[in-house]
Amino acid sequence: MNSKQNNKSQDQNTEKLKEIPKWTRKYAQNRMLTPIVLMVMLMLFSMLFGGGMAFLLVLAVAGFLKGNIVLGCVGTAILVVGLAVIVKYYIAFLKKYGGKNRGLIDQIIEQRIYGKEGTASIPLPKITKKMRGLDYLVGAALLVYMLGVNHLCMVGYIAFKYQQPLMALFFVPCFVFEYYYLLRPKVGPIVLLWPILYAIHAILILAGVPLFFTGYMRFWNMFIPLVGYFLLAYMIGHLYSRYALKKLKGLTHLEGDAVNGV
Amino acid sequence: MEFDKIIHEPARLRIMMILAGLEQADFNFLLTTLSLTRGNLSRHIEKLESAAYLKVKKSFKGKIPNTSYQLTQKGTKALAQYWENLDAVRQLGQS
Repeated sequence: MNSKQNNKSQDQNTEKLKEIPKWTRKYAQNRMLTPIVLMVMLMLFSMLFGGGMAFLLVLAVAGFLKGNIVLGCVGTAILVVGLAVIVKYYIAFLKKYGGKNRGLIDQIIEQRIYGKEGTASIPLPKITKKMRGLDYLVGAALLVYMLGVNHLCMVGYIAFKYQQPLMALFFVPCFVFEYYYLLRPKVGPIVLLWPILYAIHAILILAGVPLFFTGYMRFWNMFIPLVGYFLLAYMIGHLYSRYALKKLKGLTHLEGDAVNGV
Repeated sequence: MEFDKIIHEPARLRIMMILAGLEQADFNFLLTTLSLTRGNLSRHIEKLESAAYLKVKKSFKGKIPNTSYQLTQKGTKALAQYWENLDAVRQLGQS
Protein backbone atom coordinates (compact mmCIF):
# COMPACT_ATOMS: atom_id res chain seq x y z
CA MET A 1 0.00 0.00 0.00
CA ASN A 2 2.76 2.36 1.06
CA SER A 3 4.86 1.54 -1.97
CA LYS A 4 1.85 2.27 -4.24
CA GLN A 5 1.34 5.60 -2.54
CA ASN A 6 5.04 6.37 -2.87
CA ASN A 7 4.95 5.57 -6.58
CA LYS A 8 1.91 7.79 -7.05
CA SER A 9 3.55 10.66 -5.20
CA GLN A 10 6.78 10.22 -7.22
CA ASP A 11 4.75 10.28 -10.44
CA GLN A 12 3.06 13.48 -9.36
CA ASN A 13 6.44 15.04 -8.53
CA THR A 14 7.79 14.05 -11.94
CA GLU A 15 4.80 15.57 -13.68
CA LYS A 16 5.28 18.75 -11.66
CA LEU A 17 8.93 18.95 -12.71
CA LYS A 18 7.86 18.76 -16.33
CA GLU A 19 5.91 21.97 -15.79
CA ILE A 20 9.05 23.99 -14.94
CA PRO A 21 9.80 25.16 -18.53
CA LYS A 22 6.16 26.20 -18.99
CA TRP A 23 6.12 28.43 -15.91
CA THR A 24 9.61 29.77 -16.61
CA ARG A 25 8.42 30.89 -20.06
CA LYS A 26 5.27 32.43 -18.63
CA TYR A 27 7.33 34.33 -16.10
CA ALA A 28 9.84 35.60 -18.68
CA GLN A 29 7.14 36.56 -21.18
CA ASN A 30 5.26 38.68 -18.67
CA ARG A 31 8.00 40.77 -17.07
CA MET A 32 6.22 43.92 -18.10
CA LEU A 33 7.28 46.57 -15.63
CA THR A 34 9.96 47.86 -18.00
CA PRO A 35 7.53 48.95 -20.76
CA ILE A 36 5.22 50.39 -18.09
CA VAL A 37 8.06 52.50 -16.65
CA LEU A 38 9.10 53.57 -20.17
CA MET A 39 5.53 54.59 -21.01
CA VAL A 40 5.13 56.55 -17.77
CA MET A 41 8.48 58.27 -18.35
CA LEU A 42 7.47 59.14 -21.91
CA MET A 43 4.15 60.55 -20.71
CA LEU A 44 5.75 62.59 -17.95
CA PHE A 45 8.40 64.06 -20.26
CA SER A 46 5.82 64.80 -22.94
CA MET A 47 3.55 66.49 -20.43
CA LEU A 48 6.38 68.46 -18.92
CA PHE A 49 7.87 69.66 -22.20
CA GLY A 50 4.57 69.90 -24.09
CA GLY A 51 2.93 71.77 -21.22
CA GLY A 52 5.93 74.06 -20.76
CA MET A 53 6.17 74.89 -24.46
CA ALA A 54 2.41 75.43 -24.75
CA PHE A 55 2.52 77.81 -21.77
CA LEU A 56 5.38 79.83 -23.28
CA LEU A 57 3.67 79.90 -26.68
CA VAL A 58 0.43 81.15 -25.15
CA LEU A 59 2.40 83.77 -23.20
CA ALA A 60 4.17 85.03 -26.32
CA VAL A 61 1.03 85.09 -28.50
CA ALA A 62 -1.04 86.75 -25.77
CA GLY A 63 1.67 89.38 -25.34
CA PHE A 64 1.64 90.28 -29.03
CA LEU A 65 -2.17 90.16 -29.28
CA LYS A 66 -2.58 92.53 -26.33
CA GLY A 67 -0.02 94.88 -27.82
CA ASN A 68 2.48 94.18 -25.04
CA ILE A 69 5.56 93.86 -27.21
CA VAL A 70 7.93 93.36 -24.24
CA LEU A 71 5.90 90.41 -22.92
CA GLY A 72 5.62 88.99 -26.45
CA CYS A 73 9.36 89.28 -27.07
CA VAL A 74 10.29 87.83 -23.67
CA GLY A 75 7.85 84.95 -24.24
CA THR A 76 9.27 84.29 -27.72
CA ALA A 77 12.85 84.44 -26.43
CA ILE A 78 12.11 81.98 -23.62
CA LEU A 79 10.30 79.75 -26.13
CA VAL A 80 13.33 79.72 -28.44
CA VAL A 81 15.72 79.01 -25.54
CA GLY A 82 13.39 76.27 -24.30
CA LEU A 83 13.28 74.65 -27.75
CA ALA A 84 17.08 74.87 -28.04
CA VAL A 85 17.49 73.19 -24.64
CA ILE A 86 15.09 70.40 -25.65
CA VAL A 87 16.92 69.84 -28.95
CA LYS A 88 20.29 69.82 -27.13
CA TYR A 89 19.13 67.23 -24.59
CA TYR A 90 17.38 65.22 -27.26
CA ILE A 91 20.59 65.01 -29.31
CA ALA A 92 22.60 64.07 -26.19
CA PHE A 93 20.00 61.41 -25.36
CA LEU A 94 20.11 59.98 -28.89
CA LYS A 95 23.92 59.89 -28.83
CA LYS A 96 23.87 57.92 -25.60
CA TYR A 97 20.92 55.61 -26.17
CA GLY A 98 20.29 55.63 -29.91
CA GLY A 99 21.91 53.86 -32.87
CA LYS A 100 24.18 51.04 -31.73
CA ASN A 101 23.04 51.54 -28.13
CA ARG A 102 19.37 51.06 -28.98
CA GLY A 103 17.79 49.09 -26.19
CA LEU A 104 20.36 50.20 -23.60
CA ILE A 105 17.84 52.32 -21.72
CA ASP A 106 15.49 49.32 -21.51
CA GLN A 107 18.37 47.27 -20.13
CA ILE A 108 19.21 49.87 -17.50
CA ILE A 109 15.58 50.12 -16.37
CA GLU A 110 15.22 46.33 -16.38
CA GLN A 111 18.39 45.99 -14.31
CA ARG A 112 17.04 48.47 -11.75
CA ILE A 113 13.66 46.75 -11.53
CA TYR A 114 14.58 43.10 -11.86
CA GLY A 115 18.26 43.19 -10.85
CA LYS A 116 17.73 41.24 -7.63
CA GLU A 117 15.45 38.74 -9.33
CA GLY A 118 17.83 38.12 -12.21
CA THR A 119 17.27 37.92 -15.92
CA ALA A 120 15.35 35.29 -17.82
CA SER A 121 14.81 35.92 -21.49
CA ILE A 122 13.11 34.49 -24.51
CA PRO A 123 14.42 35.53 -27.93
CA LEU A 124 12.66 37.96 -30.21
CA PRO A 125 11.55 36.33 -33.46
CA LYS A 126 14.01 36.66 -36.32
CA ILE A 127 13.03 39.87 -38.02
CA THR A 128 13.99 40.27 -41.65
CA LYS A 129 14.87 43.68 -43.09
CA LYS A 130 11.65 43.53 -45.10
CA MET A 131 9.63 42.94 -41.94
CA ARG A 132 11.41 45.74 -40.10
CA GLY A 133 10.71 48.06 -43.05
CA LEU A 134 7.05 47.05 -43.01
CA ASP A 135 6.95 47.75 -39.27
CA TYR A 136 8.27 51.30 -39.78
CA LEU A 137 5.84 51.82 -42.67
CA VAL A 138 2.86 50.68 -40.59
CA GLY A 139 4.03 52.89 -37.69
CA ALA A 140 4.33 55.93 -39.97
CA ALA A 141 0.92 55.19 -41.54
CA LEU A 142 -0.59 54.92 -38.04
CA LEU A 143 0.83 58.32 -37.10
CA VAL A 144 -0.49 59.95 -40.30
CA TYR A 145 -3.88 58.27 -39.80
CA MET A 146 -4.01 59.44 -36.17
CA LEU A 147 -3.19 63.05 -37.10
CA GLY A 148 -5.68 62.84 -39.99
CA VAL A 149 -8.53 61.65 -37.76
CA ASN A 150 -7.61 64.29 -35.20
CA HIS A 151 -7.65 67.00 -37.87
CA LEU A 152 -11.00 65.86 -39.32
CA CYS A 153 -12.48 66.00 -35.82
CA MET A 154 -11.04 69.47 -35.21
CA VAL A 155 -12.52 70.87 -38.42
CA GLY A 156 -15.86 69.27 -37.66
CA TYR A 157 -16.08 66.57 -40.35
CA ILE A 158 -16.22 63.82 -37.77
CA ALA A 159 -17.85 63.95 -34.34
CA PHE A 160 -15.31 63.71 -31.51
CA LYS A 161 -17.07 60.68 -30.08
CA TYR A 162 -16.06 58.67 -33.17
CA GLN A 163 -12.38 59.51 -32.74
CA GLN A 164 -11.66 56.42 -30.64
CA PRO A 165 -13.59 53.92 -32.85
CA LEU A 166 -11.80 55.31 -35.92
CA MET A 167 -8.46 54.96 -34.17
CA ALA A 168 -9.36 51.38 -33.17
CA LEU A 169 -10.00 50.55 -36.82
CA PHE A 170 -6.30 51.04 -37.55
CA PHE A 171 -4.62 50.45 -34.19
CA VAL A 172 -6.17 47.06 -33.36
CA PRO A 173 -5.05 45.19 -36.53
CA CYS A 174 -1.69 47.01 -36.40
CA PHE A 175 -0.96 45.84 -32.89
CA VAL A 176 -2.12 42.29 -33.60
CA PHE A 177 0.25 42.25 -36.61
CA GLU A 178 3.04 43.64 -34.41
CA TYR A 179 2.44 40.98 -31.79
CA TYR A 180 2.33 37.98 -34.11
CA TYR A 181 5.25 38.96 -36.32
CA LEU A 182 7.53 41.07 -34.14
CA LEU A 183 6.94 40.37 -30.45
CA ARG A 184 6.01 36.71 -30.13
CA PRO A 185 7.33 34.60 -28.37
CA LYS A 186 9.35 37.13 -26.32
CA VAL A 187 6.16 38.74 -25.06
CA GLY A 188 3.20 36.70 -23.82
CA PRO A 189 -0.32 36.82 -25.28
CA ILE A 190 -1.59 38.84 -22.29
CA VAL A 191 -0.54 42.03 -24.13
CA LEU A 192 -3.31 41.28 -26.63
CA LEU A 193 -5.66 42.46 -23.89
CA TRP A 194 -4.62 45.97 -24.94
CA PRO A 195 -6.15 45.90 -28.45
CA ILE A 196 -9.02 43.70 -27.26
CA LEU A 197 -10.07 46.23 -24.59
CA TYR A 198 -9.56 49.09 -27.02
CA ALA A 199 -11.79 47.33 -29.58
CA ILE A 200 -14.48 46.62 -26.96
CA HIS A 201 -14.37 50.30 -25.98
CA ALA A 202 -14.92 51.28 -29.64
CA ILE A 203 -17.78 48.81 -30.08
CA LEU A 204 -19.49 50.12 -26.94
CA ILE A 205 -19.24 53.71 -28.22
CA LEU A 206 -20.77 52.65 -31.55
CA ALA A 207 -23.52 50.84 -29.62
CA GLY A 208 -24.40 54.12 -27.93
CA VAL A 209 -22.62 53.81 -24.59
CA PRO A 210 -21.26 57.26 -23.64
CA LEU A 211 -17.65 56.18 -23.10
CA PHE A 212 -16.16 59.40 -24.41
CA PHE A 213 -15.23 62.83 -23.17
CA THR A 214 -16.99 66.05 -24.07
CA GLY A 215 -15.96 69.67 -23.61
CA TYR A 216 -12.29 70.47 -23.23
CA MET A 217 -11.38 66.82 -22.59
CA ARG A 218 -12.80 65.73 -25.99
CA PHE A 219 -9.33 66.07 -27.51
CA TRP A 220 -8.20 63.13 -25.37
CA ASN A 221 -10.83 60.62 -26.57
CA MET A 222 -8.23 58.74 -28.60
CA PHE A 223 -5.29 58.79 -26.21
CA ILE A 224 -6.67 58.25 -22.73
CA PRO A 225 -8.15 54.81 -23.58
CA LEU A 226 -4.98 53.97 -25.52
CA VAL A 227 -2.68 54.68 -22.58
CA GLY A 228 -5.18 53.48 -19.98
CA TYR A 229 -5.70 50.06 -21.57
CA PHE A 230 -1.95 49.76 -22.20
CA LEU A 231 -1.26 50.27 -18.49
CA LEU A 232 -4.08 47.92 -17.50
CA ALA A 233 -3.01 45.09 -19.86
CA TYR A 234 0.66 45.38 -18.95
CA MET A 235 -0.12 45.58 -15.24
CA ILE A 236 -2.15 42.36 -15.51
CA GLY A 237 0.84 40.85 -17.31
CA HIS A 238 3.13 41.98 -14.51
CA LEU A 239 0.87 40.47 -11.84
CA TYR A 240 0.75 37.24 -13.82
CA SER A 241 4.56 37.15 -13.87
CA ARG A 242 4.51 37.38 -10.04
CA TYR A 243 2.13 34.43 -9.95
CA ALA A 244 4.29 32.47 -12.42
CA LEU A 245 7.42 33.14 -10.34
CA LYS A 246 5.67 31.94 -7.18
CA LYS A 247 4.51 28.82 -8.99
CA LEU A 248 8.03 28.28 -10.38
CA LYS A 249 9.62 28.62 -6.96
CA GLY A 250 7.15 26.05 -5.64
CA LEU A 251 8.13 23.62 -8.41
CA THR A 252 11.88 24.08 -8.07
CA HIS A 253 12.00 24.12 -4.30
CA LEU A 254 14.51 21.62 -2.92
CA GLU A 255 14.47 20.13 0.54
CA GLY A 256 16.93 18.27 2.77
CA ASP A 257 19.97 16.60 1.20
CA ALA A 258 18.93 17.57 -2.30
CA VAL A 259 19.94 21.16 -1.52
CA ASN A 260 23.54 20.19 -0.83
CA GLY A 261 23.98 17.27 -3.22
CA VAL A 262 26.68 18.00 -5.82
CA MET B 1 18.49 1.44 -18.87
CA GLU B 2 20.85 3.97 -17.32
CA PHE B 3 20.10 7.48 -16.22
CA ASP B 4 22.43 10.35 -16.96
CA LYS B 5 23.98 10.86 -13.53
CA ILE B 6 24.76 14.49 -14.21
CA ILE B 7 21.14 15.35 -14.89
CA HIS B 8 19.63 12.94 -12.38
CA GLU B 9 20.80 15.06 -9.45
CA PRO B 10 17.70 17.12 -8.33
CA ALA B 11 19.27 20.58 -8.36
CA ARG B 12 20.93 20.06 -11.75
CA LEU B 13 17.72 18.63 -13.21
CA ARG B 14 15.93 21.80 -12.10
CA ILE B 15 18.61 24.04 -13.57
CA MET B 16 18.29 22.21 -16.88
CA MET B 17 14.49 22.40 -16.80
CA ILE B 18 14.55 26.15 -16.08
CA LEU B 19 16.92 26.76 -18.98
CA ALA B 20 14.85 24.51 -21.24
CA GLY B 21 12.05 27.08 -21.15
CA LEU B 22 14.23 30.05 -22.01
CA GLU B 23 16.76 31.42 -24.41
CA GLN B 24 19.01 32.25 -21.46
CA ALA B 25 18.94 32.98 -17.76
CA ASP B 26 21.50 34.62 -15.53
CA PHE B 27 23.05 33.47 -12.25
CA ASN B 28 20.77 35.67 -10.13
CA PHE B 29 17.64 34.23 -11.68
CA LEU B 30 18.75 30.65 -10.99
CA LEU B 31 19.67 31.69 -7.46
CA THR B 32 16.24 33.26 -6.90
CA THR B 33 14.24 30.34 -8.22
CA LEU B 34 16.28 27.49 -6.76
CA SER B 35 17.08 29.01 -3.35
CA LEU B 36 20.55 27.42 -3.35
CA THR B 37 23.67 29.03 -1.94
CA ARG B 38 25.96 30.80 -4.42
CA GLY B 39 28.69 28.21 -3.92
CA ASN B 40 26.36 25.28 -4.44
CA LEU B 41 24.83 26.75 -7.54
CA SER B 42 28.27 27.51 -8.97
CA ARG B 43 29.39 23.91 -8.46
CA HIS B 44 26.26 22.52 -10.11
CA ILE B 45 26.72 24.86 -13.03
CA GLU B 46 30.38 23.88 -13.36
CA LYS B 47 29.38 20.22 -13.60
CA LEU B 48 26.81 20.94 -16.27
CA GLU B 49 29.26 23.15 -18.13
CA SER B 50 32.00 20.54 -18.04
CA ALA B 51 29.54 18.04 -19.53
CA ALA B 52 28.91 20.64 -22.28
CA TYR B 53 25.23 20.79 -21.36
CA LEU B 54 25.45 24.53 -20.69
CA LYS B 55 27.01 27.45 -22.46
CA VAL B 56 28.22 30.41 -20.42
CA LYS B 57 27.91 33.91 -21.80
CA LYS B 58 29.62 36.83 -20.06
CA SER B 59 28.50 40.33 -20.90
CA PHE B 60 27.79 43.75 -19.46
CA LYS B 61 24.37 45.13 -18.61
CA GLY B 62 25.05 48.82 -18.71
CA LYS B 63 28.15 48.88 -16.51
CA ILE B 64 27.33 45.78 -14.48
CA PRO B 65 28.93 42.44 -15.46
CA ASN B 66 26.44 39.69 -16.12
CA THR B 67 26.83 35.92 -16.54
CA SER B 68 24.12 34.10 -18.46
CA TYR B 69 23.59 30.44 -19.16
CA GLN B 70 22.06 28.73 -22.13
CA LEU B 71 21.32 25.05 -22.81
CA THR B 72 23.48 23.62 -25.58
CA GLN B 73 22.11 21.26 -28.23
CA LYS B 74 23.85 18.43 -26.42
CA GLY B 75 22.16 19.49 -23.18
CA THR B 76 18.74 19.69 -24.82
CA LYS B 77 19.17 16.21 -26.29
CA ALA B 78 20.43 14.79 -23.00
CA LEU B 79 17.45 16.26 -21.15
CA ALA B 80 14.96 14.84 -23.65
CA GLN B 81 16.68 11.45 -23.40
CA TYR B 82 16.57 11.62 -19.60
CA TRP B 83 12.79 12.15 -19.59
CA GLU B 84 12.31 9.40 -22.17
CA ASN B 85 14.20 6.96 -19.98
CA LEU B 86 12.38 8.06 -16.85
CA ASP B 87 8.97 7.70 -18.51
CA ALA B 88 9.92 4.25 -19.76
CA VAL B 89 10.90 3.18 -16.24
CA ARG B 90 7.66 4.60 -14.84
CA GLN B 91 5.63 2.69 -17.42
CA LEU B 92 7.48 -0.51 -16.58
CA GLY B 93 6.67 0.08 -12.92
CA GLN B 94 2.98 0.54 -13.68
CA SER B 95 2.63 -2.58 -15.86
